Amino acid sequence: MERILESVIQLFLLLALAPLVTGVIRTLKARLQTRRGPGILQPYRNLYKLFRKGMVIPETASWIFSATPWIVFFGTILAGLMIPMVAADAPLGLVGGVLAVIYLLGLGRFFLALSGLDTGSSFGGLGSSREMTISALAEPAMMLAIFTVAIGAGSTGLTEIAGAAIGQTWRFLAPAQMFAFAALALVLIAETGRIPVDNPATHLELTMIHEAMILEYSGPYLALVEWAASIKQLVLMTLLINCFWPFGLQPTWFGFGALVGIGWLLAKLLFLSCAIVLLETVNAKMRLFRVPELLAVAFTLGSLALVSTFLF
Amino acid sequence: MLMRPFLDMQFGDRIITLMAALVLVLQIAVVAQRWIVTHIRIFAIQSFLLATIAATIAWFNHAPHIYIAAALTLVVKVILVPILFERLVVRMDIREEIKPIINVPLSVVISGGLTLLGYVVAESFYKQNEPGLGHNELAVAISLFLIGFFTMINRRKALTQVLALLSLENGLFLAAISLTYGMPLIVELGILFDVLVAAMVLGILVYRIRETFESIDVSRLRRLRG
Repeated sequence: MERILESVIQLFLLLALAPLVTGVIRTLKARLQTRRGPGILQPYRNLYKLFRKGMVIPETASWIFSATPWIVFFGTILAGLMIPMVAADAPLGLVGGVLAVIYLLGLGRFFLALSGLDTGSSFGGLGSSREMTISALAEPAMMLAIFTVAIGAGSTGLTEIAGAAIGQTWRFLAPAQMFAFAALALVLIAETGRIPVDNPATHLELTMIHEAMILEYSGPYLALVEWAASIKQLVLMTLLINCFWPFGLQPTWFGFGALVGIGWLLAKLLFLSCAIVLLETVNAKMRLFRVPELLAVAFTLGSLALVSTFLF
Repeated sequence: MLMRPFLDMQFGDRIITLMAALVLVLQIAVVAQRWIVTHIRIFAIQSFLLATIAATIAWFNHAPHIYIAAALTLVVKVILVPILFERLVVRMDIREEIKPIINVPLSVVISGGLTLLGYVVAESFYKQNEPGLGHNELAVAISLFLIGFFTMINRRKALTQVLALLSLENGLFLAAISLTYGMPLIVELGILFDVLVAAMVLGILVYRIRETFESIDVSRLRRLRG
């Protein structure tokens, strides 16, 4: 019974918080660039608008095109329920560990790439090929960083990883943790399509990566895909902050503690959003052929992290 | 109560390890970036971290003479040398990117490998479970060396080679300070003035190379063979 309640709360948090995080990042970025910005609630309005619209499905599209938004959306939600958000104890933690989370997100990406190819439009195929290139380079770095954390906790279960992190608050100062954090932060930027790698606001076809894949989607399907993208961003950000900055993370869900946990989660998310905004504002988008250099740095940091857990 | 962590050896060790790790990250960042001005600034930040490490070691080991070494590092490597080089860059009007011989992703992975080599070599130098500061710093220092050498080989432009030489010297400084808790002051002074003079002389040399060959690409020096 408690599990169900926890799951419902976390589901609500995921669904409600994800557009808010996107909105906060956009607004902060606009303010930093001395624009007014659309307001932090704009992503909700966008979703509401898209859900009420009709949609156009290309004639050439097969069943993959209509199945993808559902697979992406529910895959991301399921991954979101398997990570510790408010308390170290993840609602669906018993279903799978960090590997399951990453490959659920990977499944979504796989289907998005397929649907980009499915419609037969050249931009979709181009987006898919770029997305797959980047994710193939980001994945090793991500796995190395994740394994570093998992070795520290002695388990790939996220509940155990977050639990071990709670025990040692200052552990993030250890070099291994720092390298792993830096690697995972670079991967986060690549995976969520943030600026040095991809520009989430672009509508210039030649530079698009994620946007190019979903170019053919409209109406409710587009809403699902966009919602899933912001949930994925929230999931990865939460994973990063709860594995590396465990302050205020509660060991279990109970009454008042959960509220404290939510408060800390919001504060840490805001902090991370500010960092992302700053990074996006001071950097220009990289040329596509420079992205492997960034990810090579992430890979090297990840492998240094893994090795230095054994050495230090 | 507030002062307690600042007297605790373990806390000091942790801080120093953290900063040494940052120094290492900066060294890899040098390999990954493409602009000479960025290279100079990264070198300045790296030297600043080294000065901080030296000061921390001085504080925890109650060795006041290391403060002087730290202060000298701060003045020479964080302020004088970077200013000198940035002026040189402005004067020679260098705008093009650094073109390494081996491409950047591979260079970064190679530096990662060199770091591992550094750790393996350093492993044999210290006994396990021996307490005290400077446990991991030797490994970082050796890695700085190796990556510094690699950067020197990997770059064609004279100025970046000089910078790589200086970061190699940073590795030496780190090794000396973490192993011996500071060399005698006179040696320290000698090395620092050596660096300053070397930087100036090499700066002038780079400028001359540029005057004569219209470029600071050292591969053109072969033309001397007539």
